[in-house]
Amino acid sequence: MKTMIRTMTACLVTAVLFSGVAAAERTPAPANAYLYVGWPNDGERVSADRPFRVWFGLRNMGVAPKGANVPNTGHHHLLIDTDLPPLDEEIPSDRNHLHFGAGQTETTIELPRGKHTLQLLMGDYNHIPHDPPVYSRKITVYAR
Amino acid sequence: MLIRTVIVAALFAASYGPVLAVERTPAPKDAEVYIIWPPDGAVIKGGKLWVRMGVRNAGVAPKDVCMPNTGHHHLLIDTDLPSSFDEVIISDRQHIHFGGGQTEARLEDLPPGKHTLQLLMADCHHVPHDPPLYSKKITIRVPPY
Repeated sequence: MKTMIRTMTACLVTAVLFSGVAAAERTPAPANAYLYVGWPNDGERVSADRPFRVWFGLRNMGVAPKGANVPNTGHHHLLIDTDLPPLDEEIPSDRNHLHFGAGQTETTIELPRGKHTLQLLMGDYNHIPHDPPVYSRKITVYAR
Repeated sequence: MLIRTVIVAALFAASYGPVLAVERTPAPKDAEVYIIWPPDGAVIKGGKLWVRMGVRNAGVAPKDVCMPNTGHHHLLIDTDLPSSFDEVIISDRQHIHFGGGQTEARLEDLPPGKHTLQLLMADCHHVPHDPPLYSKKITIRVPPY
């Protein structure tokens, strides 16, 4: 009986510790934060291999460069032709996951001919998505 | 006597120069601040709108975050640019600060009539950059409710 209680206590302590660690890793996001692709529109036709502007829309939350740990802020990541990455890890940095760690709120990209998807995902000062994660609807654009 | 005056003047110049340089943050090259929405001349029924604040070739950082090539937005409503860019932008109902790094501003209480909107960026200390980064001033109209 005593052993069982001790085991239960140990489990409880572990659980509390573990949840504490997990909470520390993810930065809280405002519940009403709203991220969206301001331009282009879903279904927009753009010119292939020609630069076009992408606007990052964000409401009820602010932008901060990477490394700046300020509550209710993050920086933008533009996901091109890919699904959301794991939301409890650092967002990958490659041709499909563009980071805007300098606090940019728009960019210019070029896409080859074809159908492409765009989606925004906020990352905290460590490039890890917030809790809950703040991401936009995934839109489709046609480069032709 | 003359030498002492010269030394004092030199010391004064030396201390004054760096202070000035610290007060104004250099603006990022090619940076441009503009109002994405609403367009100039827009008619806003009900006087409620989201103003989308745009900046190119520079980034947004909250107040007190001093990083190169960044600043935070200020929305000027029904007012001109400040007479001096060497001072902290005043904070009142006509000069709205977005020190949280916001890129959109919700306006809820614009009365019927014509209104002007203009953006002015400032550095981490709320002082405009050198040269100052501001948008074109636009006019919107709120019809009678």
